[in-house]
Amino acid sequence: MNILAIIFMSAGLFFLVVAAIGVVRLPDVFSRSHAVSLTDSLGAFLMLIGVAFHEGLDTNTLKILVVLVLLYILNPVIAHATIRAALRSGLKPWKKENL
Amino acid sequence: MVTRSRPISSEFLFLKTITLFVFWVLFSASFEWVHLGLGLIFSFAVAWLNSGHSPFVPRFRLWLRIFLYIPWLFYEIIRSSLHLSKLILHPALPIDPHLISVESKLHHHAAVVLLGNSITLTPGTITAEVDRNNLIVHAIDKVSGADIVSKQIELKIADIFKDEKPDL
Repeated sequence: MNILAIIFMSAGLFFLVVAAIGVVRLPDVFSRSHAVSLTDSLGAFLMLIGVAFHEGLDTNTLKILVVLVLLYILNPVIAHATIRAALRSGLKPWKKENL
Repeated sequence: MVTRSRPISSEFLFLKTITLFVFWVLFSASFEWVHLGLGLIFSFAVAWLNSGHSPFVPRFRLWLRIFLYIPWLFYEIIRSSLHLSKLILHPALPIDPHLISVESKLHHHAAVVLLGNSITLTPGTITAEVDRNNLIVHAIDKVSGADIVSKQIELKIADIFKDEKPDL
């Protein structure tokens, strides 16, 4: 049980670190939000699965499951809202040619 | 004073109360009479306050199909997460961000919502603007964008909604 927890948490941690690196390296708000969505869709997911294994099977697992479902419904909404606001405020996406 | 647009249907109220009560019991994990009683009272109160919102339409076939669609979407999420991780960790940062305009052939509000959410949930592509069934998608490189252009997500969703009545 604990080995599974460690495996899942390490995998989650890998994606969280990659996402953090991405936020620093990528050029503008549009591409950075891609890195952020990596955190949400896989980093947090693997982390929560790891926590669920660590906790064992009880009501806490169920609460984690509810958190997961909410995460997957709410995150696209937030990412979309950010990007739409950026686009509507007239921000031009970074292009390769601008280098 | 609460004004109601439609009369409360009692079976709707009953179903909502039961659903909320089940969640209450699962989360509180306590079977004392005081807690159960309080839970029942609050479940009923919340169900009653929310009963004016939407009519209860059981669409189990649709929900089953959406449920079966989730594993496939999850596979796509893992695939594109690995691709995006590779891009970010690549020393040369070989990204090519561009906007794609897609016109979908979906005829349901819910289907367009599902498509937009699926695109945003897949790392590497984000829905930037939605107008009826025209979507503007921001993709981080040509490979991520190719999934949008090839419309494989849209075809899956069109298949889910093929037996529903169009409302768009």
